[in-house]
Amino acid sequence: MMKRPLFNRLPLIALTAVLLALCAGAALLMRRDAAPRSIARIAVDGETWREIDLSAVADETSFDIETPGGWNTVTVRRGAICVSAADCPDQICVRQGWLEGGLVPIVCLPHRLVISLVSGGEEEAFDAVSG
Amino acid sequence: MRFFRKMAALAAALMLMLTTTANADASRTFFAMDTVMAVSVPDAGEALLSACEDEARRLEALFSVTQPDSEIARLNTDGTVRLSGETETVLTCALEVADLTGGALDVTLYPVVRAWGFTTGDYRVPDDGELSALMERVGWEQVVIVDGAARVPQGVMVDLGAVAKGYASDRLAALLREGGVSSALIDLGGNIYCVGAKQNGRPWRIGIRDPKETADYVGALSVTDRAVVTSGSYERYFTAEDGTVYGHIFDPATGRPAASGILSVTVVGECGLLCDALSTALYVMGVDRACALLGARADVDAILVGDDGALWVTEGLRGAFEPMGPYRQATIHWIGEE
Repeated sequence: MMKRPLFNRLPLIALTAVLLALCAGAALLMRRDAAPRSIARIAVDGETWREIDLSAVADETSFDIETPGGWNTVTVRRGAICVSAADCPDQICVRQGWLEGGLVPIVCLPHRLVISLVSGGEEEAFDAVSG
Repeated sequence: MRFFRKMAALAAALMLMLTTTANADASRTFFAMDTVMAVSVPDAGEALLSACEDEARRLEALFSVTQPDSEIARLNTDGTVRLSGETETVLTCALEVADLTGGALDVTLYPVVRAWGFTTGDYRVPDDGELSALMERVGWEQVVIVDGAARVPQGVMVDLGAVAKGYASDRLAALLREGGVSSALIDLGGNIYCVGAKQNGRPWRIGIRDPKETADYVGALSVTDRAVVTSGSYERYFTAEDGTVYGHIFDPATGRPAASGILSVTVVGECGLLCDALSTALYVMGVDRACALLGARADVDAILVGDDGALWVTEGLRGAFEPMGPYRQATIHWIGEE
């Protein structure tokens, strides 16, 4: 069987190159998505209420969240988030203080509020935290 | 033709890459049993995650002390109830661990815990008279199970809060395995169950929370197919007017928050229910009694953190437990060492 001349195979080579480039691009995008960021996800009763890029917070600022169970005041600063006040009876969420890294979320059980870091340094170290 | 085949193969590979990534962290977070639960299953469908959530709520409806229709609530109000097989399993295990630990785990402490305000957030320190009256109603030996029915004397109340999440983790793990899942992580408010190994075949890496600095870690534990349950008083506690800090784990002998010299207990084993029951009991027992019990058992491993910063770790975790931060310098007493 005669080998086909190179110019007959050029479209195939070109298209393969384009597809490979697409794959590489997609992989790069995914890698960028997986890179450590500091995104805080605020969820009420399992539903995401808001996501905040903590690395983009310029000045410390506070806002209120009204949940069916009561209110929480959330304060953010660059790289960190906390519940600064709440009308829940146990105040566990307020006592937890600033969340700056790690997998342990801020939880207000009475208000079914969970603030977790979607991606951060510790995620690479642990799959979960017991305690 | 060959060209199109190659194109199709490359396109398929690209699609596979993208869909795999989209499903890579399928997870569900929900509230049940008074805690936040999260189930993470690589490549799971929504149906399986929904089944896990439904299962947790079904178990909560059986075991809850506050839902008036639950088997436990009916036992507490009527003094007797016919038990489902599952409630009988959980209650029987709790009573066996009570027997094994000399009553360090007691499912009848509920009236006392309620008086201290831990069920409502309305914290207070009951006076001695009130406490001794309430302690009359405490005693796991008063719970009788005969022919599938449970009975308690009037005023005695059962609460399965110390064991329910452990059983729920076993059930969710079984549900996922039956659904063909070989790798998943179940987190029921820090009560962890690792199904299989990670997708890449490596063990799950679980951080053990530092009871002194709760944003830090005692160490990392590498496990496969195991429950990892930690008990400590550092999360639920209150500070009284005189500055005394009271934690939420009670000593059934005194009716007061346990002060055993242990700050946290992590129990590792195949049975989440047993791990959950033992973690509470060992915390109450203190180091000496806890080590004696652990040294005689092959089915569980444990890590105890003492209030002096020392660690007690069972031999079975040598190689799997890696201390971190200040605990790298801590004294480690190996339990079961010849």
